[in-house]
Amino acid sequence: MTEAHSSREVLLTRTLVKLADTLVEGFDIVDLFTFLADRCVEILDVAAAGLMLPRTNGELGIVASSSEAMHILEAFEAQSNEGPCPDCYRTGQPVVNLDLATAHGRWPRFTPRALVAGFRSVHALPMRLRNDTIGALNLFRTHEGRMSESDVNAAQSLADVASIAILQYRTDIDLRALNDQLSYALNSRIVIEQAKGIVGERSGTDMAQAFTLLRSYARNNGRRLADVARQVIDGTLRPESF
Amino acid sequence: MMSGAVIMLVSDDAPLGSWCTSGEASGLMEEAQYTLGEGPCIDAYDLECPAIEPDLANPETVRWPAFSPVLLRAGARAVFGFPLRIGAVRLGALGLYRDTPGPLTDDQHADALVVADVATRAVLALQANASPSELATEIETGANLRFVVHQACGMVAVQLSVSLTEALIRLRAYSFANDRPIAEIAEDVVARRLHFDPDSEEIYEQ
Repeated sequence: MTEAHSSREVLLTRTLVKLADTLVEGFDIVDLFTFLADRCVEILDVAAAGLMLPRTNGELGIVASSSEAMHILEAFEAQSNEGPCPDCYRTGQPVVNLDLATAHGRWPRFTPRALVAGFRSVHALPMRLRNDTIGALNLFRTHEGRMSESDVNAAQSLADVASIAILQYRTDIDLRALNDQLSYALNSRIVIEQAKGIVGERSGTDMAQAFTLLRSYARNNGRRLADVARQVIDGTLRPESF
Repeated sequence: MMSGAVIMLVSDDAPLGSWCTSGEASGLMEEAQYTLGEGPCIDAYDLECPAIEPDLANPETVRWPAFSPVLLRAGARAVFGFPLRIGAVRLGALGLYRDTPGPLTDDQHADALVVADVATRAVLALQANASPSELATEIETGANLRFVVHQACGMVAVQLSVSLTEALIRLRAYSFANDRPIAEIAEDVVARRLHFDPDSEEIYEQ
């Protein structure tokens, strides 16, 4: 086992342990998914990661992205219903090692956008609950070549943890609670976008920097991202104090 | 099958009254909540999640001691409240009631969430003085507001020193007045090509 390999295993194990702890303590689903997306980037050989869940009308919505570039592409996927995540969600099957250079036929509108953003290969893994697919994990890479089998397996474990997290969120989980939960998670994500606009305008930064500011503040103070966002919106927290 | 529905609008945390009602006890459902300050719409608004009472006559815990008896006398047996919201923009709640007890089916519950979503968008569009046809087109075509709209909403709220709700209405109004999609307007705001000026009605492009 190489050193890089073994440190990756350690990080994966730590991540799973931390997630297990979080599940016991109670958590905010948007925070957890943002953490998961960030860790995917650290653990796996990918440049960006994001998680998408279906809205009540069946269309996909974004819950977390590791970067603004990813976020914009995921928003496009959600809006146009085209790309690795929608395909994965629709079929329940993983989309792995799709080289974007050969994907123009499959995703004519998504592919050029992803290439311009600097991505070269894309992957999506299903979040499964029994026989249903309840969402998908998007992984984008900036270089060609296959993702190793151990990376794919590690990614699927992380996607599975995300599914468990949704289940855990309500103990008396049924389809209805799940619906409310997803609706709440997607709404929290909108709150974060609104707060990004406020932070961006007040501090004269773009949306990517505004997101970084919000996230660092939340992390450094051990706060939930959605709570920090709500405070920015109701004016009890000023972006100047970040 | 529901017996009636009410859409209650709330501004600055105070109920504004109903926007529209249908069914015999609907007026009462709205009025009782307004007067008594409790009920499914108020809970759905405050707690930002659905408020469900499948049997007003035999509740597991009495949730609305003043509201429930009034509704029971008017013939309602089950009531349901769903928040009308877009992120931190909270507009009010959709209230449903039925003259027979029992929970909503999963499909009904999911449908109610969609109806609340459509009602939210309708309220916003009408506040921006959209015509019914513009509203219909928008609901048909723009199933989801794109994220850039929410970001622009935050920026415009700062530019005009107004609430997010007001900012979203202004963005909407500008989109209708200029006959351009709201996402396009929002992209201009986020790219700082378009700025909303608090000192005049004019909005200039830089």
